[in-house]
Amino acid sequence: MSSLFDLAGTFAPELVLLAGALLVFLLDVLKLRRLELVGSVSVGASLLALALVVADLGFAPFASLRTLSAAQVNPSLSALATPLWTFTSLGLVFQGMFLLATLLVSVASLSRGSKETGGPIFFGLLLLATLGMLLVAISSDLIFLLLAIELSSIATYVLVGYTRRGLRPLEAAMKFYIIGAVSSALSFFGASLLFGAYGTTNLLAIREVAGTVGTPILALLGYAFLLSGLAFKATLVPFHAWAVDVYDGAPSDVSAFLAGGTKKVGIFAVLLVFLGPILFAGAGGSSNPFQGGPFTLGPILQVTLGTLAVVTMTVGNVLALLQKEMKRLLAYSSISQAGYMLLGVTIGTAPAIAGATFQVLAHVLMKGGAFLVVAGVAGLGIGPLVDDWRGLGSRRPLLSVAFALLLLSLAGVPLTIGFVSKFVLFSAAVQAQGFFVWLAVAGLLNSALSVFYYARVLKVIYFEAPPAPLPTGGAVVGGAGPEPLRAGGLGIGRAVAIGVATALVVALGVDPQPLLGPIQAAASHFVFFWR
Amino acid sequence: MSGLPFAGFLVLSGALLAVGLFGVLTRRNFILLLIAIEIAMNAAILNFVYFAAFARAPSPGLPGQAIAVVLIGFAATEVAVGLAIVLALNRVKGSINVAEASELKL
Repeated sequence: MSSLFDLAGTFAPELVLLAGALLVFLLDVLKLRRLELVGSVSVGASLLALALVVADLGFAPFASLRTLSAAQVNPSLSALATPLWTFTSLGLVFQGMFLLATLLVSVASLSRGSKETGGPIFFGLLLLATLGMLLVAISSDLIFLLLAIELSSIATYVLVGYTRRGLRPLEAAMKFYIIGAVSSALSFFGASLLFGAYGTTNLLAIREVAGTVGTPILALLGYAFLLSGLAFKATLVPFHAWAVDVYDGAPSDVSAFLAGGTKKVGIFAVLLVFLGPILFAGAGGSSNPFQGGPFTLGPILQVTLGTLAVVTMTVGNVLALLQKEMKRLLAYSSISQAGYMLLGVTIGTAPAIAGATFQVLAHVLMKGGAFLVVAGVAGLGIGPLVDDWRGLGSRRPLLSVAFALLLLSLAGVPLTIGFVSKFVLFSAAVQAQGFFVWLAVAGLLNSALSVFYYARVLKVIYFEAPPAPLPTGGAVVGGAGPEPLRAGGLGIGRAVAIGVATALVVALGVDPQPLLGPIQAAASHFVFFWR
Repeated sequence: MSGLPFAGFLVLSGALLAVGLFGVLTRRNFILLLIAIEIAMNAAILNFVYFAAFARAPSPGLPGQAIAVVLIGFAATEVAVGLAIVLALNRVKGSINVAEASELKL
């Protein structure tokens, strides 16, 4: 019996989220559907789960975290000898970042107005999707990993179209669903080939046997299918086209969650699946490089992933230059940021993974915050085009300053978190020498390129005249101009969420050490664990 | 591990995947798309069953069969969500043709 309690203690954050989601659906059945009520449940659950994860990170030394495996919990399971989950400190760091994204979106969504229906569906699915993301972060088995990804994906398919009004969200949901389902079929096909090659789907067990046994051609094919499936989830470039349409068509709060949260699931999955083969590169000693399949082809794998990373950031940035709509611009910039994260995964050294992780954290704050601003601005009655934002600087000074800071951070300006993450990442790439220096150069050039479109948005906001006579203090000037700003403003929840995101972007940019230190420790532990 | 009709089975599951992907690329009716996705998914499930039958020495092949059952359940879940999206789309638009979904420019 005690093992059951152990299990409950081990999975406390996940159970809290599950309980929160069930409570929200229960409230829906009981017809207690007020947005504030179900929203507070969501905020409370994600806050509590975040606190539990942070406590886990804080109390235990980094080497020995919740290392309870399936076999330890239930000895009879050890017949299978394959722990489905393994707690690593880096996994817990990712859990914290996922929960941070959920928390920001939940708090912001509190102020969506009481006329909004479907609150319970939104918050319930948000919590379920987060549950799936948390499980991804602790998985050490391919099937567990893919099913956890699907738990978060299926919840987000519905989340995109949950309003059931208007064509755009539903079409976005449809596209998201088709692409997502195809990519999951590809991932599972890849996993099945790996199962055929190694006789197990457990990532730790695969690492043990790889290089000695296995059918190399099956393993290679398996990793290729797995990469293409996961690349869809992580919006890497040949597989990115859906992301822009979905981020554009979805309600902006959902876009914030997709860009700030679920997309990192793909990045972490790529890290988890491919770090083993990449790290094996150094240890390989086989005369025939094809003998162990991907596990002796580490360098080739790194070149593949590195190319994918460079192509992703370049295409994302170039296409972002051409966008006229704010959400599509942010979506493309989000794609290019995925390239930076993949860069860190490709290099595979502890500093690089720390850089990628910090980049993920930065992206949660920057992009989550930016999409929340877009949602708020849409609520003020401003159109979707970049040009519709003309003169926002004088109409909404505080909101504009927040948005400007978030964009500057995305561009990588010093004293923001975006600069720190890129600095850590690129210096790790330079340290790694050789091919990776060119990756760093490509990354730097891309950062410079991205400044152009962020600067254009800032110019529109601050240096172009508003399209309408200025309404005073946010009040409606009845019909005076074509575009009077709606009264009421952002709402407290959204203001708080944007404020917190912006404050963290600046604070961690000025002094990253409180979080960068633990992340670096977690990354080196992770690399040590997977080597 | 010897004497497996490896290639034959892999050609079968590979063909299933190819048929599924081809269907996804060519069909414009959402229901047919769902069927195509299912076919692609079943290629993976078939692989697990097949490889479980010829699993490596220590493991009794059980994990592969268990995974296959789990994946069948997962596929059903996924289709349920797809059908829900079809229903909502049909209610708003009166059509489930994917090609007519052009509100969002590509």
